[in-house]
Amino acid sequence: MLHLLKIDLKKLIDYRTFWVICGLYFITLIAGASSGMELVKWLDRTIEGFGGNINIQRIPIYHFPDIWQNLAWCGGLLKIGLGIMVVISITNEFTYRTIRQNIIDGLSREEFLYSKVLTNVTLSVLSSAGLFIIAVVCGLIYSPEYDFPYGFTGIEFFLAYFLEIFAFLSFALMLGTLINRSGLTIVLLLNSYLIELIIKENVDNYFPGIIPFFPLESIMNLVPMPFARYFLQEIRDYVTLTSVVTALVWTFLFNYFTYLKLKKSDI
Amino acid sequence: MENVLTIQGLTKNFGRLCAVNNLNLEIQRGQVFGMLGPNGSGKTTTLGMLMGVINPTQGSFSWFGQPPTHHLRKKIGAVLEHPIFYPYLSGRKNLELMCLIKEAPPENVQKVLALVELSGRQDDKYRTYSLGMKQRLAIASALLNDPIVLILDEPTNGLDPMGIAEIRDIIRRIANDGKTIILASHLLDEVQKVCTHFAILRKGNLVHSGPVDDVGKGEESVEVMAYHDDLALMLESFEGTLSMKRETQQFVVKMKPGFHANDINRYLFEKGVTATHLVTQKKSLEKQFLEILAEADHAAPAKN
Repeated sequence: MLHLLKIDLKKLIDYRTFWVICGLYFITLIAGASSGMELVKWLDRTIEGFGGNINIQRIPIYHFPDIWQNLAWCGGLLKIGLGIMVVISITNEFTYRTIRQNIIDGLSREEFLYSKVLTNVTLSVLSSAGLFIIAVVCGLIYSPEYDFPYGFTGIEFFLAYFLEIFAFLSFALMLGTLINRSGLTIVLLLNSYLIELIIKENVDNYFPGIIPFFPLESIMNLVPMPFARYFLQEIRDYVTLTSVVTALVWTFLFNYFTYLKLKKSDI
Repeated sequence: MENVLTIQGLTKNFGRLCAVNNLNLEIQRGQVFGMLGPNGSGKTTTLGMLMGVINPTQGSFSWFGQPPTHHLRKKIGAVLEHPIFYPYLSGRKNLELMCLIKEAPPENVQKVLALVELSGRQDDKYRTYSLGMKQRLAIASALLNDPIVLILDEPTNGLDPMGIAEIRDIIRRIANDGKTIILASHLLDEVQKVCTHFAILRKGNLVHSGPVDDVGKGEESVEVMAYHDDLALMLESFEGTLSMKRETQQFVVKMKPGFHANDINRYLFEKGVTATHLVTQKKSLEKQFLEILAEADHAAPAKN
């Protein structure tokens, strides 16, 4: 296992594009996740009457336990950056035809796929760990009081966040394997939400019940948008079993389709 | 002799096109095996199937008497078509990556780089290499895991004469180590110089296979030149002449079995003519190759 991960990382570690994209991603993730209060202040300055009479310093976006879901949701918005990296990594193998040489050299097709999936796991773990550290640090800075174990409520959103990233990277890997061209795949990856939205809107009139089971919808459903709660609206502030199971099934299918394509095609 | 490779009924169809048709072949340890054929005759497709990148439509093959697995491929060094490497990695990093895949000892990298004389450029990115350097790196990569079998597909494609000579030299050195080599090429001269056995493919069919030494057996042809006006008549009336044709300045006499150049020489001398040029033509692989292809064309003209 570790051996296969080493093979794929060896391909990336001297690849400048990898460092640029991942660097941008992690910088955006860290900077974005830790500057929420500044954003609120800016909104207060720019928009007249923002927040009404509430003292904006008292909006608890960085307070334990709210912070878990808030950051997990925000972090999820940035996953497209990692998705593009995964697309480039897999489509390079097809354009340079190095996947062919890898297999000639003695990697089985399954092992090739595992090496890519393991990199996806690694990137997801790094994202989750990075975001978790920011959450802990920001929580300690901004929370007025530390009330544990109550403060850990909703920490499972970080597991949901991990699954969200990994499911999305599996989706990107599948698209890259099916399409083989980096440009086309990235365009499709960027537009996939839009395409799914159009289908959803049409399905909505007939079978609204199946909408939560759409692939990208199920990934987004893992961590629901939390901020409406600050406008006194009801939100779902826990992870549902259905959303996890649906996302897991899709993740399995994405990787299984990738496997089928690799197994059947002449490389 | 131990069979390194046994191919049974191997077939590959791309849609309606039959790229390889029911191929049966055996390659034994220590052979330098040349695979010949015009472009598009199925050489690379065959090698692709042997190396697991192309799924056969039908048939099977075995390496060392065992069904093929990816573990076996680690002990085979192969370069198919053109060299394939990560362009953004240096030559050395590319080989280190291959070491990981092939589970080869990392110290082999420097050994093979020295063998193909690329040590000086090992830290430059692969995309900056010239074609000859790319080909040499590909050969280095094939030798990385001390392979039992070496598969080279058009290793001298696009090289200048010096590059070709260098690569031929490397192949000879490897062959002298007793390694089995499968060499696909359409450069017949190359194959004749380095191979012990050869097979000819045409439109996916195996049309000939045998030792290279057998080439040139059969009747002899002798080139004759002499300053004499009636030379043509004289040669025609010689008892050993099967047929004769004129080529610009010389006559080429095809001999009956049992007659050789010295018989012509004696005959002409007895007639008072001294030859200025007398050469037994060696039948080249090229000639044999074209003959076999022509025969195959003749045998199956309606098929295509």
